[in-house]
Amino acid sequence: MARFLIRRGLTMIALLFAISLVTFLLFIVVLPGGNPASMLAGRLANPSEVQLISHRYGFDQPVYVQYFKTMANIFDGSAYSYQSSFNVDDQIRQGLPTTVSLALGAGIIWLLVSILFGTLAAIRAGRYTDRVLTVLSMVGVSMPPFFLGAVIIFYLGYKTSILPINGYVPFTQSPIQWAYHLIAPWFTLSVLFIGFYSRVLRSTILDTLSEDYVRTARAKGLSPRRVLVHHVLRTSLLPIISLWGLDFAQVIGGGAILTESVYGLHGVGYLAAQSVGKLDTVTLLSIVMLTAIAVVVLQALVDFLYAVLDPRIRLA
Amino acid sequence: MSRTLRPALAGLTALAVAAAITLVALSSGNANAKRPARNAAASVVQMVEGTFPQSLDPGLDYTTQGSEINWVVYTGLATYAHKNGVAGAQLIPGLCTALPTISNGGKTYTCTLRKGLVFSNGKPVVASDFAYTMERALKIPWGGSGAFLTPYVVGAQAFASGKAKSIAGVSTNDATGKITIQLSQAYGPFTNVLAFPMLGLIPSGFPMTVQATSPPPGVGPYMVTNIVANTSFEAVPNPYWSKINIPGIPSAKVSVEVKANSNVAANALSVLNGSADIFDWADNIPGSLLQQIQAKAAGRFRYVNLGGSTYYIFLNASEPPFNNQLAREAVVTGLNQPAMSRIGSGTLVPACYFLPPDIVGHPPLPNSSCPYGNPDKGGNIAKAKALLKQSGLAGTSVTVWSETRQPRQAWMTAYTQMLNQIGFKATQKLLSDSTYFTTIGQSKKLHPQTGFADWNQDFPHPVDFYGPLLDGNSILPTNNENFGQTNDPYINAQVKKLGTVPTTQLQSVAKQWQALDEYVAKKAYVAVFGYEKFPEFASSRINYGALVFQPIYGWDLTSFSLK
Repeated sequence: MARFLIRRGLTMIALLFAISLVTFLLFIVVLPGGNPASMLAGRLANPSEVQLISHRYGFDQPVYVQYFKTMANIFDGSAYSYQSSFNVDDQIRQGLPTTVSLALGAGIIWLLVSILFGTLAAIRAGRYTDRVLTVLSMVGVSMPPFFLGAVIIFYLGYKTSILPINGYVPFTQSPIQWAYHLIAPWFTLSVLFIGFYSRVLRSTILDTLSEDYVRTARAKGLSPRRVLVHHVLRTSLLPIISLWGLDFAQVIGGGAILTESVYGLHGVGYLAAQSVGKLDTVTLLSIVMLTAIAVVVLQALVDFLYAVLDPRIRLA
Repeated sequence: MSRTLRPALAGLTALAVAAAITLVALSSGNANAKRPARNAAASVVQMVEGTFPQSLDPGLDYTTQGSEINWVVYTGLATYAHKNGVAGAQLIPGLCTALPTISNGGKTYTCTLRKGLVFSNGKPVVASDFAYTMERALKIPWGGSGAFLTPYVVGAQAFASGKAKSIAGVSTNDATGKITIQLSQAYGPFTNVLAFPMLGLIPSGFPMTVQATSPPPGVGPYMVTNIVANTSFEAVPNPYWSKINIPGIPSAKVSVEVKANSNVAANALSVLNGSADIFDWADNIPGSLLQQIQAKAAGRFRYVNLGGSTYYIFLNASEPPFNNQLAREAVVTGLNQPAMSRIGSGTLVPACYFLPPDIVGHPPLPNSSCPYGNPDKGGNIAKAKALLKQSGLAGTSVTVWSETRQPRQAWMTAYTQMLNQIGFKATQKLLSDSTYFTTIGQSKKLHPQTGFADWNQDFPHPVDFYGPLLDGNSILPTNNENFGQTNDPYINAQVKKLGTVPTTQLQSVAKQWQALDEYVAKKAYVAVFGYEKFPEFASSRINYGALVFQPIYGWDLTSFSLK
């Protein structure tokens, strides 16, 4: 266990360093549009004002100094957006409950529904149910969230007023309104993953069904239900859980950019979209760091789950 | 096998159904509310906007969204009338008893503060607060300080660069309330500069750094509270305003909750179905919703030409091919403005003159008098082809620079196609919105040939258009706004001469500005493709007839009231 944790910790540090460096170089050194001070100074700035801003924000310092200074600010919570002067950590902290609410609800939905659909499609392989679920999966995978979101907002939000058009209510303020405002975003975000996951699960179950140990289990006289749940699903769920961990982490780290933007959910994804639009490099770097941390931590948790599901896997 | 597996599948199905039932049960908790949840307080109006202001600290903000709010929170020594149309562009005394008196050949501005002024935190206002406010704007620095303060106010540049401890050109007397500002050169619209929200007074001693979530107290009908970064804030009535009676500045009638959501279509639908009240004027209503809104909100929606913005295509007159007048004339002749207006959901008013209609100097002439064809009729491709052929520049490669946001990108796509139709070899080059103007502003490095440009008035004075955009003296190596690098001695001389005339005396030189504007149209230095109309859209709760759509700052929050 200790070795596992140390290895994970070192990997995480190396990964974060590499990601931060690449992002920094991309957005700050190779910034399209040239000197960031020019951009901050605005359309009517004169050269002396640009120089003043350049000096104030440290853009006139060597790149490595800028990098270490920026990263230190990000990690000690004193990073501020160049454009708006809002504290970056505060913005992320403020957006996290929304993003976690979205990710949790959608993550549960897409996991459960895709297990249901994938299993159904596998055990009914080649039959009518399988064909219908295949088509549905394809539709789900091909449905961009901005389109599905726009359709839901128009018909369920505006036309029928069944759901709110946008917005977010904190769970602590009203659990009912919290869920009510998240139904459409949960559904929109889940659809894409359900399609993909159910296809992966279907294929894995079909492979597992032809394994020797499954045949042995059947030969031993175990009930088909027991074979499916204890022998087939338990193994087949491994890649799904691995995928789920990564996708969930990505959503927490701002991956639900489109869903959050369409529904006006001011989560980390919305912040990421806004930061990209404004080339708010410090905020972007912070979000990238958050995503990287979330992915690494959740991947470690997934590895633990692997060991639980498959005793052959050991952490060390 | 499948038959015997049913119990397992039934379990999974039951789980999914249970989840669905839970969701339905949660949503049914709101069954009585046909409309989404909203602030129940009757005196709160909800405004939705696509972009959060750059900052609610007036020392930093230089955006339309920020100015709209800051205007009613930070009153300057002068301000604007709270009226619709041209009347709203009229300067009125703000915190001073009268508009500043101008002496010493336009280089000295003097005024006296009103008695009994207090900030929204109850602290009395003194004259030295003005000096402090300007110092703070220079230190932060405010986005317009390099254009409107450092070049003109004596000692401003020295203070900004840290060479002086105060601004030599600003002197104040707290006992008498007298404020005197010395300029190094006459600048006609300086009274307008004093009306910027950035120069709206704040208390001395307030931190010299941007306070993004707790902006300084001001003197105005409103104060800003509950700022949630990039998400929302509230403009609530200033409790001390009722004790300050400044003629021409109304009191706040309602609180305004401002929510930012980048999905402008959802914002428009929210206002249409009444879950929000005011649509931000600076956002474009998506074309797909326009018909619906026009049909269902006929009495609470219209497009208004605020008369202070110009959309144009810059043509680099310092380099081939657009240093050739015939090539420029070909572009203006071929431009199909009605088609471009359709691309923009009909929000463009076809035009050919650089100054927009409510700016003094705009030629009050019909479009039929435009030098290269009536812009209402669409472009004349055949004539444009002939002009280009005559110039000998047919086949020249041209790069068209464009932002990515719509409809600007689509406008430039149409323009690129037109250039190819008339004989150029044009290609479109796209840049991110946030870096577009600073990139094409690198005049010496990039040498941009042609592309999209626009200008919204900072104040209603023609020099705000001609000064930075067409005066040869304003060409800069970086952050250049004279994208076409127009350097015409006649324009330069006229801008220098007419730019010193104060805003309040502009009518005396209106004919000369008009002559200059007609000259620019004739020389085809820019290809104007219209003046933009903005949406004035509110929910049915709002007293629509009482709304004021101010030509400089857009929505006047003091005009918001419920039926």
